[in-house]
Amino acid sequence: MNGKRLKCLGMALCCMAATVPLQGCGASSDKIEIEIVQYKPEAANYFKTVEDEFNATHDTIHLTISSPNDAMTILKTRFIREDYPDIIGIGGDINYSYFVDAQILADVSDYKGLQDINQGYLDIAEALELVPVDGTYIVPYVANAAGILYNRDMFAEHNWAIPETWDELIQLCESIQAEGILPFYFGFKDTWTCLAPWNAMAVELSPSDTTKQVNRGETTFVQEYRELSEKYLGLLPYGPDDPFAYGYNDACTAFARGEAAMYPIGSYATPQILSVNPDLNIDSFVMPASDNKEDRTLNSGIDLGFCVMAECENKEAAYEVLDFLLEYENMQKYIDAQNAVPCKNGDFKLASMLDGMLTFINEGNMTDYQDHYYPSEMSVDALLQTFLLQKDVDSFLTTFDTNWQRYNRDIIRLVQEYEQAH
Amino acid sequence: MKHTSTVGKSNKTVLVLLILGLSTIAFPLYMTIVIAFKQPSEMTNSISGILSLPKTWSLDNFREAMEVTNFWHSLRNSLLISVLTVGLSIILHSLMGYALGRNKAHSKFYSFVYLFIVSGMFVPFAILMMPLAKQTAELGLANWAGVIILYVVFYMPMNIMLYSGYLVNIPMALEEAAKVDGASTWTTYWKIIFPIMSPMHATVAVITALAVWNDVMTPLIIMAGSGENTLPLAQLNFQSQFGTNYNLAFASYLLSLIPILIFYLICQKQILNGVTNGAVK
Amino acid sequence: MKNDRQRTFLFITIPILALFVCFNTIPLIRGVVYSFTNFKGFGKYDWVGLRNYIDLFSDARVGKSYLFTIKLAIVTTIVVNVISLVLALGLNSKIRAKGFFRGAYFLPNILGSLVVGYIFNYFFTYILPAVADMMGIRSLSTSILSSPSKAWIGVMIVCAWQAIAMNTIIYISGLQTVPEDVYEAGGLDGATGWKQFRHLTFPLIIPFFSINMVLCVKNFLMVFDQIMALTKGGPAQSTESISYLIYNNGMSGGQFGFQSANAVVFFIVIVIISVAQMKFSSSKEEQL
Repeated sequence: MNGKRLKCLGMALCCMAATVPLQGCGASSDKIEIEIVQYKPEAANYFKTVEDEFNATHDTIHLTISSPNDAMTILKTRFIREDYPDIIGIGGDINYSYFVDAQILADVSDYKGLQDINQGYLDIAEALELVPVDGTYIVPYVANAAGILYNRDMFAEHNWAIPETWDELIQLCESIQAEGILPFYFGFKDTWTCLAPWNAMAVELSPSDTTKQVNRGETTFVQEYRELSEKYLGLLPYGPDDPFAYGYNDACTAFARGEAAMYPIGSYATPQILSVNPDLNIDSFVMPASDNKEDRTLNSGIDLGFCVMAECENKEAAYEVLDFLLEYENMQKYIDAQNAVPCKNGDFKLASMLDGMLTFINEGNMTDYQDHYYPSEMSVDALLQTFLLQKDVDSFLTTFDTNWQRYNRDIIRLVQEYEQAH
Repeated sequence: MKHTSTVGKSNKTVLVLLILGLSTIAFPLYMTIVIAFKQPSEMTNSISGILSLPKTWSLDNFREAMEVTNFWHSLRNSLLISVLTVGLSIILHSLMGYALGRNKAHSKFYSFVYLFIVSGMFVPFAILMMPLAKQTAELGLANWAGVIILYVVFYMPMNIMLYSGYLVNIPMALEEAAKVDGASTWTTYWKIIFPIMSPMHATVAVITALAVWNDVMTPLIIMAGSGENTLPLAQLNFQSQFGTNYNLAFASYLLSLIPILIFYLICQKQILNGVTNGAVK
Repeated sequence: MKNDRQRTFLFITIPILALFVCFNTIPLIRGVVYSFTNFKGFGKYDWVGLRNYIDLFSDARVGKSYLFTIKLAIVTTIVVNVISLVLALGLNSKIRAKGFFRGAYFLPNILGSLVVGYIFNYFFTYILPAVADMMGIRSLSTSILSSPSKAWIGVMIVCAWQAIAMNTIIYISGLQTVPEDVYEAGGLDGATGWKQFRHLTFPLIIPFFSINMVLCVKNFLMVFDQIMALTKGGPAQSTESISYLIYNNGMSGGQFGFQSANAVVFFIVIVIISVAQMKFSSSKEEQL
C-alpha cells in the first residue's frame, strides 16, 4: 500500500520534471547575440519596446534586454560565474568606478556615437575613475537632476517667487509657513532620501572633487562639509514634525495631496507622485544653497549609461545596438517615459517639471552628485539620518572623516600610489 | 474523549481568546485586500482614507498583476520547484532523520553527523551566495534543478531536527516486532516508521513549502540570466527604489497566497491524523 | 541482523551527507577563503591576511549590530514561544471551527514581506500614534519606528507576528505525539489545567520545545527580511542586524571580503549558542 503510494509520488515527480521544456534555446544560431542587462526596472517597458523594434529591423543581430530588479546583485553573481552580458546599463556611481578599476569594461573611445554626447557628462564619467585611466568606458545615456520639486499651482496662487540664494529660500519658507502651509515634506525614514537635499546643496557649497581631495590627503570633511551640514539642519524646521516617521512613499503621497509646497528630491520622484495625483502641476528649481548667485549649479549626474563589457566578442555589433539606443526617437521616448535629461546633444523636448532647470541644462552648468563618490557600504545615508536626528555637526563630521578613512583604505592607497608614480 | 463540564467552560474562554487574537490577523488582511482593489490615486496618508473601501470592486489590478508577472508561467515554475523540493525533502530528510535519530544517542559518529548537519543551518546565506553561484554554474546547475538541490540541502538541518525529534516518541518496540517477523531494516522503515511519521511529513511539507514558496534570494542568484522567473522573482517587478505600485503588488501577493494556503489546509488535516491513526503506542 | 541495520543506516547516511557537504560545506569553505581577501565581489583582489578579522573587533558598527541582534533574538524568542505554545494548546483543544482558526492563524506567515512591511509601516506611522493620541498616551504619539530607542520594538512585534504561525504548527504536531491515555491517567490523578500541562504535557513535548527554541534563536539572530521591510537598519543605524550588515555591505556594497569575515565569526557564534542550547535541552530530556 505504502510502497505503491511512494511509487505514485515518484512517477508524479518524474512527470513534472519531464514537462519542463529545455531552456536556453531561444534565437536561431546564425545571428550575433547581444545581451544587455540594465539596472533600471522602472524603464523595463521602454526597453522591451526597443528590443522588439531592434529585432524587427535588424537581420544579423539578435538583441535581448533584461531589466531585472536588484540588477547589481544579479550582475555581481553573473560576473563571479564569468557569465558576462555584452552590454550593461548602469548609473554613474561608485559601482562604475569599481568596474573600471576591476578592468571588466571595454574601452569605447573608438565609438563614433560619443561625439554627440554632451561633454559635461563625459567629464563627469571621467571624474568617477578612481585614478585617471586612459580611454572611455561608458556611453552616458540619460541624466537625472535633483533640486526642489514644487507645487506650481500653489506657488502661483500665493505669488511666491523662485528663490535664487539661501537667504531667499529661507524667506520663502517663512512666508509659506506664515500662510499655514508646510514648506517642505521629508521622507527621512528611507535613509537614502536624506541624501537628496544633501547632494543638491553640496554642489554649490563644496568643490565637486571634495572626496578626491580628501583621498589625496589635502583636506578633511570637517572643513569642507561644515557649512553644508549647518545649512542642512536649517531646513528641518520647515519640514514635518517627525520627518523620520515617514518614508519616501509617504512623502510622495503627501506632496501629491498638496500637504506641502515643496519636496527636495530628484526628478525621478515625479512618476510616483503623479501616480497618486495625476493632475498635480509640478515644476522644479535648482536648490539655492549658496549666498552667492554665481555659485549656482544644477545637481545632475549620469542616471543611466551603457558600458560594453571587456568580454564582449563582437564590439561592432554592440556599437550598432548603441547607435539604435541613441537614435533621436528612442531617446525622446525614454525621456518622455522617465522625465529624464538626455546626455546627448540635440533638440529634445523635456518634461514640464524640468522647466525650472532648463537654463542650467542648456548652459551645461551641472555638477555631479557627491554621493556618487561615496562607497555604499559606508552608508552615508544612514550617517546623515543619524546626524539629522542628533543635530550634532561636530560629531557627525568627525565620524564622517574617520569612517571615510576606514572604508576607503584601499582606494586611498591606490590614489597615493598613483600620485607617487606620476 | 470524555468531557467534563469544566473542560466545556474553559473551551469557551479559549474560543473567545482565539477570536480576540484573530483581530491581529484580520486587520492586516483587510488592509491588504482593500489596497489590492484600489487605484494608486486612491492612496492617501489619512487613516480614514486607507481604511475606506475601494471606489469600485474591479478585478483590473489582479488582471494587470497577472500580466506583469506572467502569472501562469511563473506559477508553474514556483509549483514545480516547491513540489519537487517538498517531495525530495520528505523522502531524503525523513530517512536521514531516522538514521541519525535512532543512532545519535549511542554512536559518536552519528551524533557528530547530526550536529554537523544541524549546524549547517546557521551558515549565513550571504557567505554562501557567491561560492554557490559559481559552483552551480560550474556544475551546469544554474537553473531550476540547481535551485531544488540547494533547497533540499538548505532545509535538511531543520527537517532532520524535526524528524529525529518526532522519533523520540515512537517506541523501538514497533521496529523490534517487525524484526522478529524477519523484515529488514529498510522495509521496516518504509512499512512502519515512514507511515507513522505522516503528521511530521505534513509539518515538514508545510514548513518547507512555505519557505520555498516565498524565497527570492536563491532563485535570484542561481537562475539570474536564465530568463525564467518564479512568482516571488516576478513580484520584484512591482517595487523599485523610486516607485512602488502597491496596489498591483498587493493584488499579486493575494493571488500567490492562495495556492500555499490551500496546501496548508490540506496538510494540517494530516498533522491531526496522527492521533486518530492510533499508530503511536 | 544487527549488521543489516548498521549497513542500512550507513547506506542512508553517506550519500545524503555527501550531498550536504557538496552544497553547504564546500561553498562555506570557499567563503571562508574570501574572508582573508579584500574581494569586492568582482574583479581582482589581494590577500590581506587577518586584517578583516582584526578590523571586525574594532568596528563599532559591527559591535552595535551584535548587541541589537542578540537583544532582539532573546526577547522575540521568549515572546514567540510563550504565545505559540498557548496558541497551540488552544488550537489543539476541542473547540468549534478549529480548521478555520488554524488557517487564519497561519496567514501571517504567507503574506510577502513587501505587504507586511507596508502594512506595519502604516500601522506604526499613522494608526498607532493616532490611537495613542486619542487615549492620551504621550510616549506613543509619534511613530515608534522613528525613534532610535524604540524602533527595535516595532521590529520585534513584526518578527513575532510572522513567526508565531510556524512555531505553533510545530507545537501542534508535537502535541499529536502525546497519547490520549496520558491525559486519562492524569485525569484519574486529578491533574488538570496548569498542573496537567506542567507535569504531563510539557515533558512529552520537550523535543519540540527545544526545536522551537533553536529555530527561533537561529531565525531571529539571522533576521533580515523584516529589517529590510520595516526600517532598513534605521533610524540612526539602530536596527542594523548582523545579517543586514553582511548582506548590505557585502553583497550590495563592496565589502565582500570583510563581511565574509563577519559571517564566519557570526556563524561560529550561533553554532556555539545553539549547540549549548541543544546540549542543555537534551540533558533536560534525559532528566525526565
